[in-house]
Amino acid sequence: MGSPGFTLEAVDELAGLHQEPDWLRTRRRDAFGVYEKLDLPSRQLEEWRRVDFKGLKLDQFKPFENANGGPPSEPIDGAAGVLRQRGSEPGKVDIDPELAAKGVIFMPLSQAAREHPELIQRHLFSQVKPDRDKFSALHAALFSGGTLLYVPDWVTIDKPLVGQFWSSGGGAAVLPHTLILAGKGSRFNYLDEFLSPTLDEGALTSGSAELFLDEGADVGYVSLQKWGRHAYQFADQRAHLRKDSAVHIFNVTLGGRFAKIRVEATLDGPGASAELKGIYFGSEDQFFDFHTLQDHMVGNTTSDLLFKGALQDTSHAVYAGLIHIEKGAARSDAYQANRNLVLSDKAKATSIPMLEIDNNDVRCTHGATVGPVDPMHLFYLVSRGIPEATAQRMIVQGFFGEVIDRIPFEQARQVVLDELESRLG
Amino acid sequence: MAVAPKISVGDDYKEKYGFFDPEKFVFKAKRGLTEEIVREISWMKEEPQWMTDMRVRSLGIFRKKAMPTWGADLSIIDFDNIFYFLKSTEKQQTKWEDVPEDIKRTFDKLGIPEAERKFLAGVSAQYESEVVYHSLHKELTDKGVIFTDTDTALREHPDLFKEYFGTIIPPADNKFAALNTAVWSGGSFIYVPKGVRVEIPLQAYFRINAENMGQFERTLIICDEDSFVHYIEGCTAPIYTTDSLHSAVVEIIVKRNARCRYTTIQNWSTNVYNLVTKRAVVYGDATMEWVDGNLGSQITMKYPSVYLMEPGAKGDVLSVAFAGKGQHQDAGGKMIHVAPNTTSTITSKSISKNGGRTSYRGHIKVYPGANNCKSFVKCDALLLDDESRSDTYPYNDVDAENVTLGHEATVSKVSDEQLFYLMSRGITQNEAETMIVNGFIEPFTKELPLEYAVELNRLIQLEMEGSVG
Repeated sequence: MGSPGFTLEAVDELAGLHQEPDWLRTRRRDAFGVYEKLDLPSRQLEEWRRVDFKGLKLDQFKPFENANGGPPSEPIDGAAGVLRQRGSEPGKVDIDPELAAKGVIFMPLSQAAREHPELIQRHLFSQVKPDRDKFSALHAALFSGGTLLYVPDWVTIDKPLVGQFWSSGGGAAVLPHTLILAGKGSRFNYLDEFLSPTLDEGALTSGSAELFLDEGADVGYVSLQKWGRHAYQFADQRAHLRKDSAVHIFNVTLGGRFAKIRVEATLDGPGASAELKGIYFGSEDQFFDFHTLQDHMVGNTTSDLLFKGALQDTSHAVYAGLIHIEKGAARSDAYQANRNLVLSDKAKATSIPMLEIDNNDVRCTHGATVGPVDPMHLFYLVSRGIPEATAQRMIVQGFFGEVIDRIPFEQARQVVLDELESRLG
Repeated sequence: MAVAPKISVGDDYKEKYGFFDPEKFVFKAKRGLTEEIVREISWMKEEPQWMTDMRVRSLGIFRKKAMPTWGADLSIIDFDNIFYFLKSTEKQQTKWEDVPEDIKRTFDKLGIPEAERKFLAGVSAQYESEVVYHSLHKELTDKGVIFTDTDTALREHPDLFKEYFGTIIPPADNKFAALNTAVWSGGSFIYVPKGVRVEIPLQAYFRINAENMGQFERTLIICDEDSFVHYIEGCTAPIYTTDSLHSAVVEIIVKRNARCRYTTIQNWSTNVYNLVTKRAVVYGDATMEWVDGNLGSQITMKYPSVYLMEPGAKGDVLSVAFAGKGQHQDAGGKMIHVAPNTTSTITSKSISKNGGRTSYRGHIKVYPGANNCKSFVKCDALLLDDESRSDTYPYNDVDAENVTLGHEATVSKVSDEQLFYLMSRGITQNEAETMIVNGFIEPFTKELPLEYAVELNRLIQLEMEGSVG
């Protein structure tokens, strides 16, 4: 295990641990150069204005983590393939042999870099750019492995594939990266699960993903984040959509002390459609900051965004989203909504839904709400003999229901419901 | 300095709503901004020492503050190429009959005097930087209402003036508030005593009429407890080829149980930079309403705000923006909930045409402890062609308990179904579009006094005609 602080030696050591080819090591080193050059983002910038870096000391994190602690061992039912990664070690894959026969590639990113460099070189960090800010650069320099999922043209996978990332949370940086390449007309669902226990030591985590959808692909992507309560998370999840493709992204953020997450979709072909859904539940002193982007580059594209959050104790959530319609993107249809349920008087929600529209032949609507549980709803349930605490829980569950029901994986739905249940007591 | 782009507003602009009068000045300050000029302005106006000091101090603040980097592009403004003070030869007028003929003609063209004689209690018309015409209905004077230009108010009501001036928008609030405090001139001063309801709207007409002349009017309105006043400010300006700067400051105090409505129709010519700070503080059970229409100017940045200081206070912003070729209307509203049980609404309607850009920019802030607040924001935008642009930037910060906050926005074009319906009944496309646009902003027009509503509809019609021909 490396000593605290991010260094070029640590970059080399990590690349060595994953037996990465030289070109990838060079890329890591380049990204590290960017990391060293950049300052922490200025809080003068609109995107970072509401982010408080207090308590975040980057040089105190170990650059990566050798596996220890006990990762979850319970089997994952109903999955077509599972990749499990502990700490910064290369992951272990268990995949339905039938899929491999169809040409589906599902393997740790480092292995893919050796065996399928043509896929990785072209796509890796082309959507989630290393020079975007200091944290993106750090992620590109020290990403601790991750997954490649390549699904060839016209292949449909009925059961979901699962990537599970476990960190012991012992003061180290664990930065998994998911790369999904969906061939023409392919259809599948993928779940990323991020887990770590809550220790006193902090952790630096990510959970970034790049999705490339070729023509007519239809992909569901679920990111289920349950990092330990002391983790700082910086993640970028971005999808690039070609003609007639459809992506359904579900971002579920439950853990971490601090999470700064960007969920973005670039609609780059007519007929493309993006469904971006988010759920967050803040307790204690959790801080979440979401930035979303629906970038309509061409016309006849559709996007539908709904982020719903509930906040209790002293938690604070920021949502800032942008719909951007390019000049030529006529007949685009974009929707953006952020709904916040504030469950305690100390919790706080900030909501900034933005529009930048450069074309007139469009339909763009957005809405944001922040408010407590409707007393009328509560009264109705209580008047029917339901205890107030139960009634409150039912209302919160109902509030999240419309998003939870859309998550294309039963097990993930259950995780969210269990978490809500345990937190709402 | 960047070269100001030439803005074409059409050859027939003069006939439509532009007008020129020969310039006649007693005093014309030099271009540019120095401490000497600031002191000279103060000396010319025979101001008390505290005001001179405040002006000089504000100049320092102005120089220290950086230009805002958000919103519209302001890099083109050259502060050294602006006249900061002009005084026209015309002395203060008390009767309409004594108003010089050329100024009357200007007002005639805008259709104001005939209507106002019947309806209005007082007119405070600002020509150049100073108020030249002023009349106040006797009845109002008897009730103790003060309605005068701000310079006169400083002379005649020094105590009242000093108590409130600069307390709502201190010079350090922003760069342009500092500039205004340093060089302000003209504007309206209104005081409505306890329990007095001014049933007839008070009006002032502001104009810019000299090339490269900045106009920095300063308005202060004080509504004492249980009072009511409706103040109307409208402006229009002839065209000129180089940029003009208009940077006003409006401060309003609405005391308990009072109600104040402030209506603006801004129609500066499209070479004016209109950077205005408007703010009201509202106390218990009182109401502040901003009715704000932005049609003219090259760039407008204006966000009327309401500070809700005590329970029961209510704030309301109704904003309409129309951006044509080369224009950027960056408008909106701010609601700052300081006290619990306060409510606010913002309704914004914007229309972009011929490459114009409208931006809604708003802020809802609920401070800790300001529980049980309600706020609702609705923004609708209409894009009339595919060159135009519309943005929405709402900022919502809630720090209190049991707050209900809603925001909704839509952006669309003129609906094909509506257009088809109207055209199938023999209405031309242009007429149909004009009708739809007028219908779109109707929530705004119906809040205006009749003569303003008529004028606004006419202006929209003129703007829409340009889109076809």
